[in-house]
Amino acid sequence: MKKGTRLSLAVIVIAFGLGSTASADVNPPLAALGPVPVPKDNPQTAEKIELGKLLFFDSRIGGDASVSCADCHAPKQGWGFNDPLSRGYPGVIHWRNSQTVINSAYLGKLFWTGSAKSLESQAPSAALGAVSGNGERDMVEARLAFIPEYVKRFNKVFGDDWPKVNNAWKAMAAFERTLIHDNTPFDKYMRGDKSALTEQQVRGLKLFEGKANCIECHNGPLLTDQKYYNLGLPRAEEWSDNGMAQVTFRYEQYAKGVTEELYRKIKDDAGFYYRSKEKSDMGKFRTPPLRYTAYTAPFMHAGSFFDFDEVVDFYNEGGGSNEFTDGTLASNKTKLLKPLNLTDEEKADLIAFLESLSGPEIKMVTPKLPLYAPLPAATN
Amino acid sequence: MKRKALPRITRTSALGSMLLTLAVGAVAIGSIGAPALAADFGPVKAAQVDAKKAALGKRLFFDARLSGDAAISCSTCHNPAKGFADGLALAKAYPGSEGFRNTPTLINAAQKAAWFHDGRIGTNLNDVTRESITETYTMNMDMRMMQERVKQDPIYVQMFKEAGYGEPSNGSVRKAIPEYLKTLTSRGSPFDAGKMSAAAQRGFDLFRGKAGCAQCHSGPRFTDDQPHNTAVPENPEIWSNPLRHVTYVSFAKFMGLENYMNHRRDVGANIRLQKADGSNVGKFMTPSLRELKQTAPYMHNGMIKTLADVVAFYNRGGGNDANKDARMKPLGLSSEERANLVAFLEALSGDALTGPEHVWKDKINVNYVAIEDWLNKKN
Repeated sequence: MKKGTRLSLAVIVIAFGLGSTASADVNPPLAALGPVPVPKDNPQTAEKIELGKLLFFDSRIGGDASVSCADCHAPKQGWGFNDPLSRGYPGVIHWRNSQTVINSAYLGKLFWTGSAKSLESQAPSAALGAVSGNGERDMVEARLAFIPEYVKRFNKVFGDDWPKVNNAWKAMAAFERTLIHDNTPFDKYMRGDKSALTEQQVRGLKLFEGKANCIECHNGPLLTDQKYYNLGLPRAEEWSDNGMAQVTFRYEQYAKGVTEELYRKIKDDAGFYYRSKEKSDMGKFRTPPLRYTAYTAPFMHAGSFFDFDEVVDFYNEGGGSNEFTDGTLASNKTKLLKPLNLTDEEKADLIAFLESLSGPEIKMVTPKLPLYAPLPAATN
Repeated sequence: MKRKALPRITRTSALGSMLLTLAVGAVAIGSIGAPALAADFGPVKAAQVDAKKAALGKRLFFDARLSGDAAISCSTCHNPAKGFADGLALAKAYPGSEGFRNTPTLINAAQKAAWFHDGRIGTNLNDVTRESITETYTMNMDMRMMQERVKQDPIYVQMFKEAGYGEPSNGSVRKAIPEYLKTLTSRGSPFDAGKMSAAAQRGFDLFRGKAGCAQCHSGPRFTDDQPHNTAVPENPEIWSNPLRHVTYVSFAKFMGLENYMNHRRDVGANIRLQKADGSNVGKFMTPSLRELKQTAPYMHNGMIKTLADVVAFYNRGGGNDANKDARMKPLGLSSEERANLVAFLEALSGDALTGPEHVWKDKINVNYVAIEDWLNKKN
């Protein structure tokens, strides 16, 4: 009986698999952004969100207490960082573009290669990594214990006797779940307000879904399929002329555990390859969502493009080439990219549509942070 | 026949020497309170050093790029002008943190049997170097990042090659710095030269006799390399300054101590000799008495500012603690005897190691020069 059930399940799975292969071209339709998903083990509360906000702006999370989340995810820089490569930890330059925190709560794959699956696990990776926060768990936890306001708040929110560092990541995640951008002209339009988009933007939307075929990857309510592609993007220019960037480039190869042979010859970011170690994944990065992009230039994993014109030109030419597409290390360019033959007017329409994916800027003043204080006398 | 038997013999003797080492270790830890064995107070013998490796280690020692945010080098806390210590009661530590112990001198440190005030590293300087570079509150460095920083500097690439290390690597950094540390040997003290004043000579007699100092301060470096509890008073600054207390908590947490939020006393050597009854709390490694003129203030927490105060402390029989070493008793030294002891201690200080032999004098360009034609160069 049980066996039979399992077998029929397997048949269903296979059938489903075949079905989805056959209908690979059916993309989830564009839609307005829905409510933010909240994990069951980290419910939102007002106190938790407020605590997370303080922690997000608190540089004591970082190794030398000089960098907070908000330094690479700066509210005034689209909650990202407006250089091609993120600033990184003092004494270091990062090797990828800093992505916006806005709407990151909807993503199931965080970082450019999806190495974190939740905001709760993204936060420690960023806070503790050598090129970002360079912090250390025991030290972060010890620092929190000497900030009476945090002791009080962690106790109230999580019941901690002393703040637990894993709860700090949870509070940060709760705060980030409030950084939502869901009322753009595009969202209003999709909810039925046909006046929310201009005629030009509506033409751009048609191109997005049609001739330009952006929807092939930028689909669904998030405008991303969260899959990995190699578009043939250029490498970061910094690696050719900036010594500190060259240091980080090699460090990343070393830290991500590539073979010595590859370490010697690689000259670009191999993206998802570092996670899968499959040659066929070289140069692939997760499709980014497109809301709030009015504030988040430069674009792409290495910040290659400074405005929408450059982005649209790149796709219009059918993407580019790099050492993971031209056969030097791999030939992984996605087959989805082809020259689009867009007219200048069509390009302008497409850009007008992209602009409809951003509403008013989300501004926030750095909160006043609580101070360290000596511990009271021992209680044992 | 002989050749065939050789591997077995080698194995046996290797096992034998391992057992011997273990036994010696056990004796060393168990023999606290036994009379000093090596009472030959001669000069500290200079170590055999590979000049090229040591020169490389010297440059690394003075290079701030060996710390996480490239703000401090080994020499920031181990300053040659301060006897390779820092002149502070408690160490500065990595930016964003402050230390909870006094920075020990590195002069003669290569010859220690165990390192740090609690003796928690008892292996070798390679491990001490790793610990100091990677520890969050000292240099907070990811050694993989350090390796790539070093490789970016053409001077290092050349020096590593000339030193026989090949391409720069974090493993070689951990060999080169110890090689440099081996060059930091005391020299030129009146004691070693046999040129002590009459007062110092009388102090030496007290040191070995009435004052009982030689019970722990024995051998060429004047230390038995063992932990003892002399009940040095706590430095209240550690517990009143959150930045120092944070560092202590972070350390205690990492070391797996219990009830660390309630410590208000530095556990000292209990970190490596943990005993449920707490009787090892408050023990610290006997420090060397070499180069004291350069390395005030004194004790593991910098609580005593002058040598006269140190002698007065021992003359009182040390401080108050339930687990104080039984040999710590009031000494009944007259003021003249105390002055003689101070004169003797001062006679154990020699030349400052501040010349080019010990200090990297060229300016280090800490900007990372870009590798030209990077695309066509092997990484």
